[in-house]
Amino acid sequence: MAAFDVLIAPFASNEIPAFYTGEARTPPSSKYLFGTDNIGHDVFSQVVFGSRSALYVGFGAAAIAMSIATIIGLVSGYYGGIVDNILMRITEIFLVIPFLLILLVFLKVITAVAPSGVGGLSMVTLMIGLFSWAANARIIRGEVLRVKEQEYIEASKTLGASRTRIIFRHILPNVLHIIIVLTTLMIATSILVEAGVSFLGFGDPNAITWGQQLQKASEAVKEAWWEGVFPGLFITLLVLGFSLLGNGLRDALDPRLRE
Amino acid sequence: MVKKILKIEQLKTYFYTWAGIVKAVDGVDIDVNEGETLGLVGESGSGKSVTALSIIRIVPSPGKIVNGKIVYKGENLVEKNEKKLQDIRGKEIAYIFQDPATSLNPVFTIANQLMEVILRHQKISKKEALEKAIELFRLVEIPDPEIKIWNYPHQLSGGMKQRMAIARALASQPNLLLADEPTTNLDVTIQAQILELMKSLKKKLGMSMILITHDMGVVADIADRITVLYAGRVCETADTKTIFYNPKHPYTQALLTAVPSLALKTEKLKVIPGSLPNLIEPPSGCRFHPRCEYAQQGCIEKIPDLIEIEPGHKVACLRASELDLESPLGGMNYN
Repeated sequence: MAAFDVLIAPFASNEIPAFYTGEARTPPSSKYLFGTDNIGHDVFSQVVFGSRSALYVGFGAAAIAMSIATIIGLVSGYYGGIVDNILMRITEIFLVIPFLLILLVFLKVITAVAPSGVGGLSMVTLMIGLFSWAANARIIRGEVLRVKEQEYIEASKTLGASRTRIIFRHILPNVLHIIIVLTTLMIATSILVEAGVSFLGFGDPNAITWGQQLQKASEAVKEAWWEGVFPGLFITLLVLGFSLLGNGLRDALDPRLRE
Repeated sequence: MVKKILKIEQLKTYFYTWAGIVKAVDGVDIDVNEGETLGLVGESGSGKSVTALSIIRIVPSPGKIVNGKIVYKGENLVEKNEKKLQDIRGKEIAYIFQDPATSLNPVFTIANQLMEVILRHQKISKKEALEKAIELFRLVEIPDPEIKIWNYPHQLSGGMKQRMAIARALASQPNLLLADEPTTNLDVTIQAQILELMKSLKKKLGMSMILITHDMGVVADIADRITVLYAGRVCETADTKTIFYNPKHPYTQALLTAVPSLALKTEKLKVIPGSLPNLIEPPSGCRFHPRCEYAQQGCIEKIPDLIEIEPGHKVACLRASELDLESPLGGMNYN
């Protein structure tokens, strides 16, 4: 849907004003599938373009978070000792920070301090990524701890493999199934978090996101249910989709769940 | 004079645990001659595996080599740095693990794993490496090597996997092969095949081998000489015939009487009473004395030295010369 948004949406553009229909707050009809909002923007077009933002944030934040989590997990798990101790204490700091709160504070500060042009949806993505890797790093570390005790890791040592080679050639592929599953779940979480951030009014005001739509709709839930229900429905569907994908992948990839 | 490929002197490998220092290997002397197979025998926990792991310097933490020399081809491996050791591992000295099912990486094909080792130590192209890998597979007598090589480890049987593990160890034609109970996890018929294979490969490639086992039947078949370990120390070293027919250490004799097939001749299977001592606080004097039926006061007080009682036959027992131990195989009249 995100890929073909320009074709699907009747009022196609990246700019909200382009969705202007001239008819404010009309209920869903054959002309405006999901109705229009209080100032006359087509809700369906916004939902379609919102999917683009949702996926951008989802994949972007998950990529950032999982890269950090994978590196920390691998290094911490493999080297152990003092390295592990330091990295895990840092991870714990990130775990105990009230995630949403610090995210909001940082977004506010950065948009206030940074020159115009910096910030926006990419900044939201980056922030979500930077603050949500900790739990995953611990899970990956745990798996590395299990894998590194396996005899084939010792065997590759006896055959002259170097440390980096053991980490990336032998341990990484054996924890990859966990990383893949965590990534899909991370995508789902990031989408939810972005919706939350936008709903609270800390998102990118120029981006078309489902959270922003929800926020606008919250002013008129009784009069115009369609403004909130449709973006909400799509958030639910997308997140549910990624969660189910994650669960399915876990069942398919976890060797212990295999018969 | 036979050339020694490996000479270990007073090796001590300790594990620093919360409960105390575990003296897993406590002053072991071993030598291996060029082209010979040395059997390293002892109960579980006697320090056989730790000795082997010490040789290629991959003693798992919290273990540490605290003393001793491991001289391989005139170079002391204890003093080498990690980088140099990585070049020696796999190329000069290779290791075969006990359980082939866990010593192969489950996510890569066999071709992949074999080629990795070949490319690590030899400067050749991928295509040549693949040819070499197939050649190795043929060497370890796996049928249809061109097809089987693209399998994943779980697609092979236990015996096949161990053949594959042997092939991987031989990939760079090592001069010394450390085999840590290579047949323990295989069933008896496959065991015989693997032993036969290792024997013929050793001859073909002219390498030396240390075979670690607790199975006296296995060493009898393939070892030239045997070193018996007990609680981290050497009890006795001699050629295979001498160990079997003329043991001088009570522990060696006890091991022999505990072998079912040998004991059948003496109608009763004997068990060595007691179990291996605690290695954090090992018994004083001779470590075998609490379980030894010939122990005297002197055995409790004095640590016996490893003494050469006849050429090539070393024993660490205070009473070695006075005791007349009888082998279950029938003593000196083996000629």
